[in-house]
Amino acid sequence: MGGQVYRMERDRARFRDIVRGRLREDLRKYLSTSELLGRQGKKTISIPIPQVELPRFRYGDNSGEGVGQGPGDEGDQMDGDGAEGAGSAGEQPGQHILEVEVDLAELAEMLGRELALPNIQPRGSRQLHTEGGRYTGIRSQGPDSLRHFRRTFRRALKRTIASGEWDPKDPRVVPMRDDQRFRSRRTHPKPESSAVIFHMMDVSGSMGREQKDIVRIKAFWIDTWLRSQYKNIEVVYIVHDAVAKVVDQEAFFHLRESGGTKISSAYELCLKQIQEHYRPDNWNIYPFHYSDGDNWSARDTARCVALLREEILPCANQFCYGQVKSAYGSGQFKKDLDHALGHDDQIVTTAIDSREGIPESIRAFLAEGR
Amino acid sequence: MATGGHLPANLRQQARITEAAARAVGLDFFDVVFEMLDAADVNAVAAYGGFPVRYPSWRFGMDYERLQKGYDYGLSKIYELVINNDPTYAYLVRSNSLMEQKLVMAHVMGHADFFKHNVWFGPTQRSMVEQMGHHAARIRSFADAYGQDTVERFLDVALGLDGLIDPYLPLRESRRAESRRETIQSRAERARTDFEQHWGDGAESLRPGPRPSRSAPTTPSSGDLPTFDILGFLVEHSRLADWQVEILSIVRAEAYYFVPQRLTKIMNEGWASYWHSHLLTHGLLDASEIVDFADCHAGATAVAPGQLNPYKLGIELFRHAHARGDDLFQLRQVHNDVSFIDHVVDEQFAESNQLFVYQRNSRTGKNMVVDRDWVAIKEQLLRELSWGGSPRIQLIEADADGEGGLLLVHKHEGRDLKLDEAGAQLKTLAQVWGGPVHLLTLEEGVGRRISTDGQEISVIETARAQDVCGGQESAQAS
Repeated sequence: MGGQVYRMERDRARFRDIVRGRLREDLRKYLSTSELLGRQGKKTISIPIPQVELPRFRYGDNSGEGVGQGPGDEGDQMDGDGAEGAGSAGEQPGQHILEVEVDLAELAEMLGRELALPNIQPRGSRQLHTEGGRYTGIRSQGPDSLRHFRRTFRRALKRTIASGEWDPKDPRVVPMRDDQRFRSRRTHPKPESSAVIFHMMDVSGSMGREQKDIVRIKAFWIDTWLRSQYKNIEVVYIVHDAVAKVVDQEAFFHLRESGGTKISSAYELCLKQIQEHYRPDNWNIYPFHYSDGDNWSARDTARCVALLREEILPCANQFCYGQVKSAYGSGQFKKDLDHALGHDDQIVTTAIDSREGIPESIRAFLAEGR
Repeated sequence: MATGGHLPANLRQQARITEAAARAVGLDFFDVVFEMLDAADVNAVAAYGGFPVRYPSWRFGMDYERLQKGYDYGLSKIYELVINNDPTYAYLVRSNSLMEQKLVMAHVMGHADFFKHNVWFGPTQRSMVEQMGHHAARIRSFADAYGQDTVERFLDVALGLDGLIDPYLPLRESRRAESRRETIQSRAERARTDFEQHWGDGAESLRPGPRPSRSAPTTPSSGDLPTFDILGFLVEHSRLADWQVEILSIVRAEAYYFVPQRLTKIMNEGWASYWHSHLLTHGLLDASEIVDFADCHAGATAVAPGQLNPYKLGIELFRHAHARGDDLFQLRQVHNDVSFIDHVVDEQFAESNQLFVYQRNSRTGKNMVVDRDWVAIKEQLLRELSWGGSPRIQLIEADADGEGGLLLVHKHEGRDLKLDEAGAQLKTLAQVWGGPVHLLTLEEGVGRRISTDGQEISVIETARAQDVCGGQESAQAS
């Protein structure tokens, strides 16, 4: 036992070095990110994992046909689009994989761990209420000095009896690795303050399905993270083309408008919301804006910069602008923002070319812990 | 195998009971050896394809990382693993409940019976646990002699070609007991003795320098072509160094070992699920375990909207065949997934299982139900499963251009290749062959010839492809 893992560690370390670019440059071009999927209620979440896929003969695009199972009439759209044919059902028999659910708090923790995100430090004079410094928890890993003898013994005893190895004449109990339990210190600060997230999205004609999907995925993860950091959180969704309006979550993700783009309209609406509903001394404020970088005119961009500099930045924790690459967008807006406000560390701008860029962009937004 | 722990007394007892119950219903298998593993170790063994010892490769590390992350994040966990070998090895995961262990044991008995009796498994190497260990030792010794990087690079090249085999070859060969496979092994054999004589097996083995080869490639004869066993052709005729030939033949042997599992995935899982369900509900379960079992069984055979689950499809096929009065034991013996589905699927089956054909709508990017006609469903299923789900690539000429170039043909059957990857794969092939390689295929009905010398790739339009690829398009045109 254990030998498996030890031997595997070398193969795994080699793979990691390839992913990091330390070894085998020739394989870099085949590196891609696949994903592990999990479900949270109706939402599907994905955990990116790197993958090196060497080229081989395989079928191309015109094979998008398959056999499925379930209700529905001819012409009906199927639920979910991850349907796979029987042909891709995997190669090994008897390797059963069972899906289990993850809850949102765990997801946020994973996200934090994967992207190495710091916990957020709420601004202002409000104190964090912490309950740190007490060993109240139990976990399955830890240093020997914290081993909880009674719990460990109890588990070992249970296992021995359950497995039929208990002999009353020779009542020996030998704990093994899985039996061990350790005290753990609960140090998680419990922020008492509230936060509001503004998701502003450009829905003008140039934002296509793929661009919206990228925004959707990003917004989901950002919400998840911020929710884990604040007890009381509100989310305001704003869409804009040449005019801006507040919409509900459903509309935010599905609306398709067309027409021109006047970004200042969204910033004005956001500011109005802040002034009317979310006073900065009571709220931590996180405006996020996503667009493909095309604005109506340079004059409107100047107006946006002025709004940000004078009104929004002074009351927000951080302002994030995520520019999603589209076939039509010039990407000028990010350049303009960087030029005008790049020195201000309260503003973070990122450019996302494709889905692969999402984790990096989320990290850029949340890495400062503001 | 000294990898896993021995079973505690109660599970040993349970294994005996399960085995007796399985034999009583007519299942027959080699000895089944259960071993107990911790969850972390199970992921490692699974990443190694179920085997305790494999050659060193980053690919196993990659698979392990995926499995381990899925496990860490609570997204997936492996229930059981079973290896086609004599004796049949199966792993139990320590953290499973007693009910789950019972289910796994009964399921394993089904697989073990299938391994022993299904005709496609007949020609497989039954001492693969030792073989894999032996392969690993060979490749490690090459790495010691020629450097890990060099050997790993060539191993990657060889593994990139492991799809270029003929899934039906082993069965055909074993039927004809023909000499061809023996010749292929014999070149690898010669290479091996040569390596050992030259390098020795002790400290001597680090001696560098060139060496004479006694295992020269043979010239292709007309009897070798055409062939789908391109890997076998390369083993026999390529101008590679001996150690490279041996790596190719190791990769080929392992690829052929796994082929039957690909050809019978649905049947094999269906058979195992059919019997675990039968055995557990006919006496193996305690009354208190029935609900948990039902829950667990339903999870394994669950159908996500619009997807096919091989466990579910397989078990339903056997149940349907049973209801029709077929002899299940005979079916499991003579069929693979394609012929089995062809034999069993009828209108009633398609209807009661709510099967349909879907198609991706290019506008919305979503899949849509397009057909519920059982004939169309069956045709689609068979198309997807034929040739183990991969494109059929045949080598037809070994000196097509007068420059010793290989000529390959993609048997089109209505589905285009991914051309960029095909080009990259051809480049790999050209490097191994040491000469140009050409592939004839169709792209949206237009004949193409992709050529490469291992460096540059060129694509030209050619009418010849229309004839030899034998695609639907050309059939319709005539």
